[in-house]
Amino acid sequence: MKIGAPKETYDGEARVALTPDSAARLQKLGYDCLIETGAGAGASISDAAYEAAGVSVVASAADLWDQADVIAKVREPSDAEIAAAPEGKTLISFVWPAQNEDLLAALNAKKMSVLAMDMVPRISRAQKMDALSSMANIAGYRALIEAGNNFGRFFTGQVTAAGKVPPAKVLVVGAGVAGLAAIGTSTSLGAITLAFDVRPEVAEQIESMGAEFVYLDFEESSQNSAATGGYAAPSSPEFREKQLAKFRELAPEIDIVITTALIPGRPAPELWTEDMVLAMKPGSVIVDLAAERGGNCTLTVADEKIVSENGVTIVGYTDFPSRMATQSSTLYATNIRHMMDDLTPEKNGAPFVNMEDDVIRGALVCHDGEITFPPPPPKVKAIAAPPAKKKEADETPAQRVEREAAEMKRSLNRTALMLAVGGFLCLLVGTVAPASFMQHFIVFVLSVFVGFYVIWGVAHALHTPLMAITNAISSIIIVGALLQVGSGSVFVVILAALSILMASVNIFGGFLVTRRMLAMFERS
Amino acid sequence: MSIGLVSAAYVVAAILFILALGGLSNMEKAKRAIWYGIIGMALAVGATIGAPGVDNYWVLIVMVVIGGVAGGFVAKQVQMTQMPELVAGFHSLVGLAAVFIGINADLAMNAALDAMEAGTTDTLAGFAKTISKKSAVEMDILKVELFLGILIGAITFTGSIVAYGKLSGRVSSAALTLPFRHQTNLGAFILCFILGWMYVAGAGIWTMILVAIIAGAIGWHLIMAIGGADMPVVVSMLNSYSGWAAAAIGFTLGNDLLIVVGALVGSSGAILSYIMCKGMNRSFVSVILGGWGGEQQAAGEGPEGEMIAIDADGVASALQDADSVVIVPGYGMAVAQAQGSVSELTRKLRAAGKTVRFAIHPVAGRLPGHMNVLLAEARVPYDIVLEMEEINDDFPQTDVAIIIGANDIVNPAAQDDPGSPIAGMPVLEVWKARQVFVSKRGQGTGYSGIENPLFFKDNTRMFYGDAKASMDSLLPQLG
Repeated sequence: MKIGAPKETYDGEARVALTPDSAARLQKLGYDCLIETGAGAGASISDAAYEAAGVSVVASAADLWDQADVIAKVREPSDAEIAAAPEGKTLISFVWPAQNEDLLAALNAKKMSVLAMDMVPRISRAQKMDALSSMANIAGYRALIEAGNNFGRFFTGQVTAAGKVPPAKVLVVGAGVAGLAAIGTSTSLGAITLAFDVRPEVAEQIESMGAEFVYLDFEESSQNSAATGGYAAPSSPEFREKQLAKFRELAPEIDIVITTALIPGRPAPELWTEDMVLAMKPGSVIVDLAAERGGNCTLTVADEKIVSENGVTIVGYTDFPSRMATQSSTLYATNIRHMMDDLTPEKNGAPFVNMEDDVIRGALVCHDGEITFPPPPPKVKAIAAPPAKKKEADETPAQRVEREAAEMKRSLNRTALMLAVGGFLCLLVGTVAPASFMQHFIVFVLSVFVGFYVIWGVAHALHTPLMAITNAISSIIIVGALLQVGSGSVFVVILAALSILMASVNIFGGFLVTRRMLAMFERS
Repeated sequence: MSIGLVSAAYVVAAILFILALGGLSNMEKAKRAIWYGIIGMALAVGATIGAPGVDNYWVLIVMVVIGGVAGGFVAKQVQMTQMPELVAGFHSLVGLAAVFIGINADLAMNAALDAMEAGTTDTLAGFAKTISKKSAVEMDILKVELFLGILIGAITFTGSIVAYGKLSGRVSSAALTLPFRHQTNLGAFILCFILGWMYVAGAGIWTMILVAIIAGAIGWHLIMAIGGADMPVVVSMLNSYSGWAAAAIGFTLGNDLLIVVGALVGSSGAILSYIMCKGMNRSFVSVILGGWGGEQQAAGEGPEGEMIAIDADGVASALQDADSVVIVPGYGMAVAQAQGSVSELTRKLRAAGKTVRFAIHPVAGRLPGHMNVLLAEARVPYDIVLEMEEINDDFPQTDVAIIIGANDIVNPAAQDDPGSPIAGMPVLEVWKARQVFVSKRGQGTGYSGIENPLFFKDNTRMFYGDAKASMDSLLPQLG
């Protein structure tokens, strides 16, 4: 079968979905590759380079759509493209089905099988085809470079003969893939980097990239992103207030702000308000990566660079990946190639749509004349949910009192039972035994009790010394032997003497060895 | 010294003994506690020697000196790893002494009875004199106590010898399972009690000697039937028996100090046994009657996967990358005498700023608290040595767990496999650590013969070799 990539029709889109490298790998899967002439020009890939890789260069988009069975694109097809497309093709591109219902219906009307690159579930196995991440990575990098381009100072602090240069202070809002890429670029350029995210568990990732996590003093901030597949969810109004207050506090000292905060399926949250922009120093730069979805900054104008009245540059470009078309085409084409890998388990050049496969099912939005969006939830959670907190922590005071009362009652019952049984046995003994025995018996029972209480308190680590010392003092039996050694009978004396001998070994050995052991225990 | 003074000394001695045991509640106090014990013992022995009716001082002194020298010598020579067998060996001495004293008491009693018939009770001294004042019922009780003292003493004696043999490797640690062993034991016990009945009814001393012999056989058989893995329980149980034997002799002789101390030791050993059994989630009775030490595992299929070996380089580099390390020592560390190397490893890792902790299972080793003593000997600070409950929740945050010569105490089958012989036993959840290294001599199943699925887990690597050699090979690679 044939797989083809047309030239992107969207204005200014420089990326291309097929590169000579990816074509070579696709050919190994058994596909023939087609490319529309000039499709790679924006990404600095000439037709000749494609031809050298064995890709047939096709003169027009119409020819390509005709010949290819699988169409790989970057942007979703335009209405004109769909109108011109023959029926029954397989299309792989960004689709954004949740926002583009009309598009979905139009694609379906053409009986296309559509795999949306933006719908690939975020599970480990699918990372190799996660085009959102690979594009976000580029966007994050480019955002910082764009900021530097518009910023009049160094990133890193320097002390030069011509005076001291303070380092730039960068704040990255939203530590997703793009945010982390921006953080990494920023720290490696030497700027002081702060970062914020509503998901506290990314603090570790932020710190691992060398930035400082901006903590909010807020109790309920613990969003569990595992439930939302690793994405942020809208936060409560109180939390938002705290967050804005923190930003207001930071604004005057920040030179560069990169905002990347997006919530799936919603307009971008407004995080950098006009008063914050006004509080910033002239010459500062804001790069709003969420511009396409309304922007995190109030003043952002999508696709434009504007300067606020106090001289703050606000960059609202939406085509950062396209501005680095060579890099982004390479990565995107590789994502596509991995997708084809999974679609072609037999490596026979024929795509097979396996509806049981979480990744393929997730990405598939149209198939066999039906709209298959939204997909069922994936069987594998992207991120393991943190273990549920222990039950005891959730226990209300009332429950605890109740439980303790129940335990107390049980223990009292047990004690009462034991006392009753013990008392009965003692009575039984008392009825037959003479007074002299009972005196000793009392001593015995009390000693057992004392022993019981004392031993429970012994530290676990000291159990071996405890055995050694009880062993030593159990040779108190020597007292019995001592009392007998004075007997007149030789036989008795001999046995008693032997007992004394053995007990002495035990006394000295036991105590000495216990001392040896205890002397070894020491604190660090 | 008058009887009153002797009694006063006994009271003080008894209190000192209680303080000695109570002092073991923490490490700092423990060093003082041992002196309470020594002073108490000195006081008790001194007062008894000074008591009226004690004679033959030269015999007595010679015996104490010989015994003291021998005991001191043994205590100095013994390796810390041999502590279990030493304690077991010492118990046998107490048991035998109890038997001898019991027989002596019978002889003294007969002498007293003869004297009573002849009307010459005034010539009697010491123990015989007190006996001569007893009534008929008291005499019967005396005989019962005597019988119990000899019975328990004899069981302790032979049982401890077998335990010593098993722990020191002189006797096979596998459980000896004779046919009808429970019936044999029961029959022997019944026989003992019949003989005891005859004795109380007036039969001669031969019944007691026979009881001693039969009880000795019971003790031997009982402990032979217990597998090596259950030895911690056995040793503390024998400890308990030696206490009860002393208490029984105390009743016989009418000596309260013996009763008090015997009861203390007896209950101490019983509680320790209970703690050990709880650590293994087994009932005391099933341990005593001979456990699964020798029973074969049910013929289920083995764990899936394979054991993956790793060399010292791999372990060392994982350790270098780790922030938190938990070391789980077991009997294998004791056998290989690896505690010194482990301590050195700990020191190096800690110097590199890593968190290193030890996780001690209640039944690790062959004696309660065995691992703590070994680590202390190797100068591992005791505040990084934690108990199972303290550390089990921390494994998911642990980068590397190193298992050194331990097997059952880290076996996930105890939680996962209801058919496993150790199902329900609390275990250290090492498999939750990011990476697990198992230092082990070979691929065998170890002491208890139970397959361990831990070794087959994805995050487990087997670090084969003698524990000491393995640990030593890591040292040069860690700064």
